[in-house]
Amino acid sequence: MGEHYFIISALTKDFYAVESRGATIESSLASLIKPYSYLSGDNNVKLALYKGQQSVYSNGQEIELESRFLEPPEDGTRLSAIEKSGGHTYVIVSGKLPQPYNAYTLVYIYDTTDAIQTWQHMKNMLFVIGLIISGLLAVGLLLLLNRIFKPLSQISYTSRKIAEGDYETRLTVSGRDELSEMARSFNHMAEEIQRQMTELITAAEKKQQFIDNFAHELRTPLTAIYGYAEYLQKVAITEDDRLDAIQYIMSGSQRMQNMAAQLLELANLSHDEIFQGAQSVSGLFQSVERTLSSRITEKEIHIEYRLETDLILGDAFLLESLFINLIDNAIKACGIGGQIIVHASSEAGNLKISIQDNGKGMTPEVLQHITEPFYRAEKSRNRKDGGAGLGLSICQQIVLRHGAELTFMSRPDEGTTAIVFFYNFNMT
Amino acid sequence: MATILIVEDEVSINDLIRRNLQLVGHTCISVFDGMEAVQELSRTEVDLVILDIMLPEMDGYEVFKRNQEIPTIFLTARSSLADKVKGLTLGADDYLVKPFEMLELLARVDAVLRRTKKVGKEFELGGVKIDFEGRKVFLHDSPVECTPKEFDLLEVLVNNRNIALSRDKLLELAWGYDYGGDSRTVDVHIQKLRRKLDLEGRIKTVYKLGYRLEV
Repeated sequence: MGEHYFIISALTKDFYAVESRGATIESSLASLIKPYSYLSGDNNVKLALYKGQQSVYSNGQEIELESRFLEPPEDGTRLSAIEKSGGHTYVIVSGKLPQPYNAYTLVYIYDTTDAIQTWQHMKNMLFVIGLIISGLLAVGLLLLLNRIFKPLSQISYTSRKIAEGDYETRLTVSGRDELSEMARSFNHMAEEIQRQMTELITAAEKKQQFIDNFAHELRTPLTAIYGYAEYLQKVAITEDDRLDAIQYIMSGSQRMQNMAAQLLELANLSHDEIFQGAQSVSGLFQSVERTLSSRITEKEIHIEYRLETDLILGDAFLLESLFINLIDNAIKACGIGGQIIVHASSEAGNLKISIQDNGKGMTPEVLQHITEPFYRAEKSRNRKDGGAGLGLSICQQIVLRHGAELTFMSRPDEGTTAIVFFYNFNMT
Repeated sequence: MATILIVEDEVSINDLIRRNLQLVGHTCISVFDGMEAVQELSRTEVDLVILDIMLPEMDGYEVFKRNQEIPTIFLTARSSLADKVKGLTLGADDYLVKPFEMLELLARVDAVLRRTKKVGKEFELGGVKIDFEGRKVFLHDSPVECTPKEFDLLEVLVNNRNIALSRDKLLELAWGYDYGGDSRTVDVHIQKLRRKLDLEGRIKTVYKLGYRLEV
């Protein structure tokens, strides 16, 4: 349409120009229009100029035009239509030239067959390409989604494994996006769970160990008590045998009594309030020595005191109990004529009390377990050294209640040092 | 009777077992730890070992592994099934859990000794001679007629000699659990044994308890 209009207006100007030079339009018509057919550039455009019904110019027009195209409206509007003819499709635009040349009708025929074919070809091509591209995209999307969801399925797999009790399972962390961040925190969670499970298992094992040991500790004196009572009842025995049996029964009962008392003490220690007061270290050790005097003289133990500080904060009864236990252990470890050194010193506001003996000492394996209830250095629970195996458990509890720390250093055959460390101990 | 090695670190219990076994005529050797036990076993020939599991120096299982040919009864305070199974799969002859009854100990020792044929086949007391295999009793070398139940009762008394047995216990051991008779039956049989075998001075009535064969 635009082209048609352009040609018409240009042609009109040309006609003017030709007329003004005095030449006739008819004679120069062909040379006037010719440039326009080139102007249109390709061979698809045909131009035809009619004067009335008569063709005055045509460049290779191949189709029969319907008569209505030759009589376009007079008012300068143009007719346009798409015609199909002989396998070709044409766009036909016809219109009269403006006054005073309205006798002429310019028909502009544009053969769109090639264009349509090209277009159709292109359409098919685009369709195929589109299909291929969308296929590729789909595959790509699938891969992408897989890649995105793979960590998620991994997480769900891992969490299932963990739920089944396989606490070792971890996610592999790669990259630094949100997912890897999540994987990291997931792993952290798994670690925490594993740690807590291990703690629980250890606690349960300890409890089981405690119960096993407790049962053993109960059974041994019970066996003796029951056995000797039965012996007294059923056997005709001498007075000496009778006294022996009674002695065994009494010491068995005594042992159970001690155990009950110590267990109670241990249980109370973790619940009862403790009384914090200023105590004198030398005073404490004096009463400790009084309590243990018979054992000290029996084994001819020499205790040496090096007290650089004399003030200690804590519960007098519990602290005494603590030091009685520690010194008693030292005495047990010592041979006849052993030596024990009690050393109290303050280091940077912390009070350190160490009790060192030159007794038989312990191996590192034994050292690990000595504060466990009923633990005995000798697997057999030999009663020669007495005790129910709760002494150090009680010490540990007392020390914990005072916010202090109890450590041991020991070497077989060289002796043991027990160190109690009271933190943030204010000397004022 | 038999020589028995007692391996138990708890002095009171070791002593208790020794006393009980000596009552019925066994010879006992007491040791208090694993090493001592191994040494003693290499020195002396014993018929039976009563072996505590928790021992100083070397535990009971270890001692047992070194002396598997000697009949062994494990003694332990641990009653868990796993422990029992371990002891028995190792090849122990029996298992005794503390606290145990005297009669249980004696019965188990007796059973193991009988199985390993170390038990005495004959027993003599005063003028009485008992042949356990032939189930015959002689008084001053002349046979004495005994009913089967009288013989069973006599056997129980001999196996648990020096220990007082209640009438109920005697019923249980000589007649069996399912015997419905009353404890007077025991009295009647005891009277008969006393008369037939001239054991009035030996089978003692224990006040409020039962009877005891004193040797």
